[in-house]
Amino acid sequence: MLLNKKTLVRKGAMLIASSMLFISCGSETPKEEEVVATEDAVVVEESDEVSYNLPSPLQIASIFKKSGLKYKDGITSTQKDITKYTTKLSKAINLGVYSADLSYTVLNKQSQQAMNYMKLCRQLADNLGIGSVFDQGNLSARFEKNLSNEDSLAYIIAELQMVTDMYLDENEQQEITSIVFAGAWVESMYVGSKAYEKAKDKELNNKLSEQMTILKSIVNALKADVKRDASISTLVTDMEAIQAVYAELASVKAFNEEDANAEINLSDEEVVQLTKKIEEIRNKFING
Amino acid sequence: MKKIVYLSSIVLVAVFGFTTIQTQDNCDKKAITTSCKKKLEPFKYDSQKFTKINFTKKAQDLEVEVPVFVGEKYRVVFNTSGLPKPIDINIYTKDKESKKREAVYTVKDVKPGGETEFVFDAPRLRKMFIDYSVPADSTASPTQKLSGCVAFMVGYK
Repeated sequence: MLLNKKTLVRKGAMLIASSMLFISCGSETPKEEEVVATEDAVVVEESDEVSYNLPSPLQIASIFKKSGLKYKDGITSTQKDITKYTTKLSKAINLGVYSADLSYTVLNKQSQQAMNYMKLCRQLADNLGIGSVFDQGNLSARFEKNLSNEDSLAYIIAELQMVTDMYLDENEQQEITSIVFAGAWVESMYVGSKAYEKAKDKELNNKLSEQMTILKSIVNALKADVKRDASISTLVTDMEAIQAVYAELASVKAFNEEDANAEINLSDEEVVQLTKKIEEIRNKFING
Repeated sequence: MKKIVYLSSIVLVAVFGFTTIQTQDNCDKKAITTSCKKKLEPFKYDSQKFTKINFTKKAQDLEVEVPVFVGEKYRVVFNTSGLPKPIDINIYTKDKESKKREAVYTVKDVKPGGETEFVFDAPRLRKMFIDYSVPADSTASPTQKLSGCVAFMVGYK
């Protein structure tokens, strides 16, 4: 097809302009102040909203360990068939469940169990498309090599958390962080409350109570992420169900959150109520 | 005449493209993470958060809620090297809706090109509210703004 002169000039102008734009997009970013094109369709404006930074599953396990949580065989997830997790939500939740179990077994020197959970974490991370983080700095290989050294394993898990956080941030998948942590939190609470059933330790009771502060932040973080992934709303409902149980406990109602020195001590009956709900939600998670 | 208009537009778009279309900002996340991690020692890594900042004609207050455990020891390392110009950083005991909140840490009046890394060891708190006060930029326009990122890393003992 022949093009007339006018069309050629127009197309030429478009081609050259596009090429120039393409070249400039791929060029090095100057270190000094730079001016950034901000077409509304490309760059999302920061608003005066609140965002959330949740702790790591390892820290939760560490807090429980410090409060006297002993290792109890058979309470971590025994679900090994990850093929049942078919959605992004169920994969991320159970990556959190396994991360919590990994942290719990590492901190309690259960190296073979820890190795198994590490493998499950890797498989779920692969399914989520984020498995490459395990290869950064030879993390998987270093984990296997240091199985007998609890401190080294804890350090490697912390490093894995760091590269995962950075990877998810760079790929704008921060909602996965919140989902994973929600799964990890429920699993840690399950392990903590099951251990409390036997030990009835005051310090452990206190840590179980204190978790409601974290739960509020988890719910808020998940709510903020619903706009990125609507499926998160079902997880919000589950976490709010636990929040509702906390809110109805007499010890919680009497607690003054404004006082940083105040402590809650749940009655055994209250711990049972909380454990029942945690167990229900946890079973829902691991059954996919 | 129309040819001149087209040729002029080529030149304008090309020049405009070279000088303003920089979709990548100055936020080298890997370098920032490595740098923060060094300052975090001997605390163990827990989490980190990058916040993208666009300097607009309007001043902004961005808040990040950080839940912590009472009685635990925390360190927070801030890195502002990804920002084209300084912002103020405050850590409060309560959120920005609360009238009773108090600042437990402040980074203010940092000169352009000055220090970009700040370390804070937290006192006994239930939550930290990290506020970034981003000043208005009178030179910002709907199509051209300065942008960058600020990051913090949290560690525990």
